[in-house]
Amino acid sequence: MVTKRVVALLFVALAGVVSAQGPSKSTAIPRAADGKPDFSGIWDNPKPRTARGPATVFDRTKFPPFKPGGEAFYEPRTGDPRHDEPRAFCMPSGFPSAFLGPYPVQMIQNAKTLVMITEFMRVTRIIPLDGRPHQADIEPTYYGDPVGKWEGDTLVIDTTHFKRWSLDDYYYTNSKEYRMHSDAFHTVERLTRVDAGTIKYDFTVDDPKIFTKPWTENWEFKLHPEWEKTGLYEMVCNENNRCPGGQCVKQ
Amino acid sequence: MSRLVFLVAFFLAAPAFAHHSAIAEYDLEKPIKVNGTVTRIEWTNPHIWFYVDVKNPDGTVTNWGFSGAPPGVLQRRGISRSSMKPGDQVVVQGFRAKDGSSNGSGDTVTFPDGRRVFTAMEGLGQQR
Repeated sequence: MVTKRVVALLFVALAGVVSAQGPSKSTAIPRAADGKPDFSGIWDNPKPRTARGPATVFDRTKFPPFKPGGEAFYEPRTGDPRHDEPRAFCMPSGFPSAFLGPYPVQMIQNAKTLVMITEFMRVTRIIPLDGRPHQADIEPTYYGDPVGKWEGDTLVIDTTHFKRWSLDDYYYTNSKEYRMHSDAFHTVERLTRVDAGTIKYDFTVDDPKIFTKPWTENWEFKLHPEWEKTGLYEMVCNENNRCPGGQCVKQ
Repeated sequence: MSRLVFLVAFFLAAPAFAHHSAIAEYDLEKPIKVNGTVTRIEWTNPHIWFYVDVKNPDGTVTNWGFSGAPPGVLQRRGISRSSMKPGDQVVVQGFRAKDGSSNGSGDTVTFPDGRRVFTAMEGLGQQR
């Protein structure tokens, strides 16, 4: 009898603590018809949980040691925009840098495919969800060959076959520090929708030509339902491309 | 050779350096602030461009070109193409182009009635 009363009191106390924390965040996550978590929606760009600035770069304190020759990761400017700033003439941003700038990311998911689109130049990734292996003998590309599979409620996206390109936009902070991943670049993304408004996004960098071991950033996507009204804005980079073919023209 | 006298510029509290630029980059060591008349606006991707006639101390006029965020980014900030028109008197703050030309990042535009629009590309802020 006493035990039941104590338990009842504990429940009441706990309820009081929970409600004292304010309205609870919905922990129910949207699920597709097949029961899988549904990532569809318009999100902001992935950011660290505690430092949600407009754009994201990799945290250098997490970098493992370089392999011999791995210093090619840092590449100085050459003065040629085709190397230094290919996006100035609407060349690809590369991965994951295209998705780390201050632009929304829309995800559209069905049972077979996840489509991830950033407003930045409408860069689009089309990710099969059927657990297929990577393609063999294909040309490397700017955004790689992604394949997805479910591990419970976590979607794991493994991407390989990248062209050598810049990893992130750190050179806007320090123009001496281009970070060029090699063509052995391999990424593993783990997406878990932890609540209705948040995707936990663990991004693992594995570049065996540069680093002695992989490392992982723990980022988040945050949902912005208010962006559904207008959707992603169009961004046709060539509309007013001031540097066609890498030759920048003045006004 | 005409010389522009730059007004004293203060560093804006918000992270305001260009995420990327069409010409080269902008020199964060060279903040600029100019006062003039809008002559032309290109409200296009990948960056808006607007041009301002600025009177030099010697009476000549230099047409400055400024680039800002893409139209979609501005729209999301509540800034539409009707925010600025040719003929508007404006004060533009930003950073000068690294190549020394009469171009800059157009980060903030202030109108005579005190209205201010933040036209910059958001940069990396404190991300390191």
